[in-house]
Amino acid sequence: MHYPWWYVPYVTAPMLIAVISVVHVLVSHYAVGGGLFLAVETGKAYRSGDREYLAYLKRHGRFFILLTVVFGAITGVGIWWTIGLASPLATEVLIRTFVFGWAIEWVFFFVEITAAFVFYYYWGRLAEKTHVAIGWIYAMAAWISLVLITGITAFMLNPGDWRPGDSFWKAFLNPQFIPQTIARTGGALLLSSLYVYLHASLTIRDGRLRDLIEQRSARPALLGAALVTAGGLSWYGFLPELAQAVLVRAAALNVFMGLIFALTAAVFVLLYLGPYRNPGWLSPGFALALFLFGIAVFSIGEFVREAVRKPYIIYNVVLGNQVLPGDVFGSEAVPGLQKTGYLEGGIWTREYVKQHYPGALDGDRIDEKRLLALPHSDRIALGEVLFQYHCNDCHAIHQGYSAVGPLIRGRSPAMIRAVIDDLHGAHFFMPPWAGTPEEAELITNYLAEIAPPRPEGMFPLPAVQEAP
Amino acid sequence: MMPPIDPHGLSAMPAPYWFVQFFKALGFTLHMVPMNLWYAGLLLAMVLHLCGSEHGRRFSGRLMTQMPVLVALGINFGIVPLLFVQVAYYKAFYSATILTAWFWLAIVGLLIPAYYGVYAYALGLRNEQAGLASWRKAAGWGAAMLFILIGFLFANGWSLMTNVGAWSRLWENHSVGGATLGTALNVADRTFWPRWLLMFGLALMTTAAWLVVDAAWFARKENETYRQWASSFAWKLHTAGAIWFAAAGSWYVFGAWQAGLRASMSTGWLHVLMIATALAPGLPWILMALGRKQAPRRATALGIALAQLGVLAVNATSRQVVQNLELKAYLDVAAIREEVQVSPLILFLAVFVAGLGVIGWVIAQAVKASATEPGQSGV
Ligand code: HEC
Repeated sequence: MHYPWWYVPYVTAPMLIAVISVVHVLVSHYAVGGGLFLAVETGKAYRSGDREYLAYLKRHGRFFILLTVVFGAITGVGIWWTIGLASPLATEVLIRTFVFGWAIEWVFFFVEITAAFVFYYYWGRLAEKTHVAIGWIYAMAAWISLVLITGITAFMLNPGDWRPGDSFWKAFLNPQFIPQTIARTGGALLLSSLYVYLHASLTIRDGRLRDLIEQRSARPALLGAALVTAGGLSWYGFLPELAQAVLVRAAALNVFMGLIFALTAAVFVLLYLGPYRNPGWLSPGFALALFLFGIAVFSIGEFVREAVRKPYIIYNVVLGNQVLPGDVFGSEAVPGLQKTGYLEGGIWTREYVKQHYPGALDGDRIDEKRLLALPHSDRIALGEVLFQYHCNDCHAIHQGYSAVGPLIRGRSPAMIRAVIDDLHGAHFFMPPWAGTPEEAELITNYLAEIAPPRPEGMFPLPAVQEAP
Repeated sequence: MMPPIDPHGLSAMPAPYWFVQFFKALGFTLHMVPMNLWYAGLLLAMVLHLCGSEHGRRFSGRLMTQMPVLVALGINFGIVPLLFVQVAYYKAFYSATILTAWFWLAIVGLLIPAYYGVYAYALGLRNEQAGLASWRKAAGWGAAMLFILIGFLFANGWSLMTNVGAWSRLWENHSVGGATLGTALNVADRTFWPRWLLMFGLALMTTAAWLVVDAAWFARKENETYRQWASSFAWKLHTAGAIWFAAAGSWYVFGAWQAGLRASMSTGWLHVLMIATALAPGLPWILMALGRKQAPRRATALGIALAQLGVLAVNATSRQVVQNLELKAYLDVAAIREEVQVSPLILFLAVFVAGLGVIGWVIAQAVKASATEPGQSGV
């Protein structure tokens, strides 16, 4: 609890990560698969002496660079930016564990952009063999950067039996690494074919060329879809039990999983019937439908991947509310906070109490008993602080993402207090309550204050018992 | 406020101290080269296109054609110092950026339109012989402004990172329920303004050096008078940059530094470093002054490039030292325990060397290709 918490109204700060990640993967997978497409197809066009195809590939290369080098690269940086802002403790742990993974990835980025620019700007000036070779250098570097970052994101979902202090390799070669690498490699093949279809259908008039492209990219697309499916299934198999339970439990995620299967099936069928069996179907409308289905599968998949980690950001290592679950790293952990107090345990929360409620201090420390002696309005104010630092990473306040107001609508203080006391028990995807009983009372005061009343006109409740 | 950085509970560093410092400063030096060109060079290109001489407009066009590649390189090199700052300085870095979160995040949001603006302009130069469409000109100007704004936001984040004493007040003024709104700006910090301005001076000088390098090495298409103009204009530009640098630097050191910092920087080898930082621009300036009357020769241009790189490297080193000194009371990076990840470190170094080899080969192919067809300029 070293860092100030960033309050983002309605959305919650961590949701910004989800939004930027989803936007980014839609381009970054194309940055990998599209590179392979350009390398393979440029070679093929040279071999068959197909000038029109070459001219198309050059145009596609320009589109590719404009999208991946600018939007793809900068949104990738954007993820880095937002994780530091919204999940500083998890980012701290990731950076220190994987600094060399990222450093190596950077080298591959450097190779990628050099190869991409030379491949495109020296088109027609390089010897054919050299040109294709540079395309392959790009494609390989891009795929390796995919593998590297996948090791890190997979680690967040299931680090296996890695514990802080264990080696880099144990962290990198985690149980989720291979399944996610397969799924993402497939995703790169599939998504890039869909980009190619969309681009080709919108920009090519010549029927022969369009059929050629459609047919050439059908197999990679089908292979990609198969890899996504295989990777996705083994992804599920290698989830920690918790994440499997979250998937089954959360209604929204159920719907999402159903959607993913339905949409993947639709993409399969369309690919098979369209490009594979009936080249010539590739109208802009058809390509757009395929593209949108593909994008939907990816966005939802990425969202689910982010969501199933709750209550952790890094499974078993860092909790969503920027604290550590057990005795990892020795400090900032739940058991200690439950003893000394959540407000006392955080630099910024402690400072808040000091500045605003010096009466709650005993010498230099916050005195739990004195907290409860504060006037009601002050207790509500401190309850809000507790909410911000303990809950706001997953719950907006009145409205917005999983807002707590509607969740506790009509609940009595006693019922609210019961949830707080056993937060993790009430829902295993919430972290354990990491404060003292006195602090639980403060946050209950706050939540009871903001809880909207029970909707009117319903069957009346028996008189509810108020908390003392 | 009690110290807002808790020096306890720092987990061990995965890389040796010297390694982190070295790559952070090296990465920042490399980052500054292209960054300077889009920081001052882009604006200069816009001005020269609007009201420059014929040669000035040529340079403007050349620079803008190269700009998309320069931006990509600059972003790429920026990753290195950003990675290593997070390895060692995370306690200061995350807190400061969180306090100014929306502005920090805006950097990413502004970079996308800025980069597309550069592309819109550059693609116009390639395709429209008839002259640039006015929307493309507007995109170029917009990009120039955005990059300067981005520089402002970076200066804001970095200066706040070492201005630990101001965190509490900024947090108080921009928070609800103890959570920051992420809307703080560090503009009340006396070091902020000269710091932001300083970079523009450096950027003017780097742009001047690039003009010479470009004229000597890449501008085969251009005639002799262009090259002569390049030498003399670069010298003037470098002079302006050096004056700017001296003014902002004096303001920074004598008007904004805490007495304690100035005292530390005035003893021992740090004093030598500070003087070297102040005087370093003299070397490229002298080289340019000597060559200002004739078209630049390749060797001279190389010398100027290396000298300017030296200016940036000394500057990055000084910044590193000052950053450590300013933070020392709260966070002594040199004292953090190390648990070096040996095999990943070695793998990184091996990949780094191999990667440079591959990049070298790819660039060699490009150079060979442009040699076979005279009249085409590099990137
Ligand atoms: C790691 C994420 C996370 C954190 C942190 C978290 N929650 Fe939750 N919470 C959830 C999720 C997910 C749900 C289920 C929401 C739904 O059903 O729509 C939930 C549900 C709830 C509910 C409804 C419970 C019920 O019985 O239906 C309440 C009340 C609640 N949270 C309060 C809190 C409070 C108070 C805190 C802070 C002390 C907190 N939560 C922290 C994720 C979190």
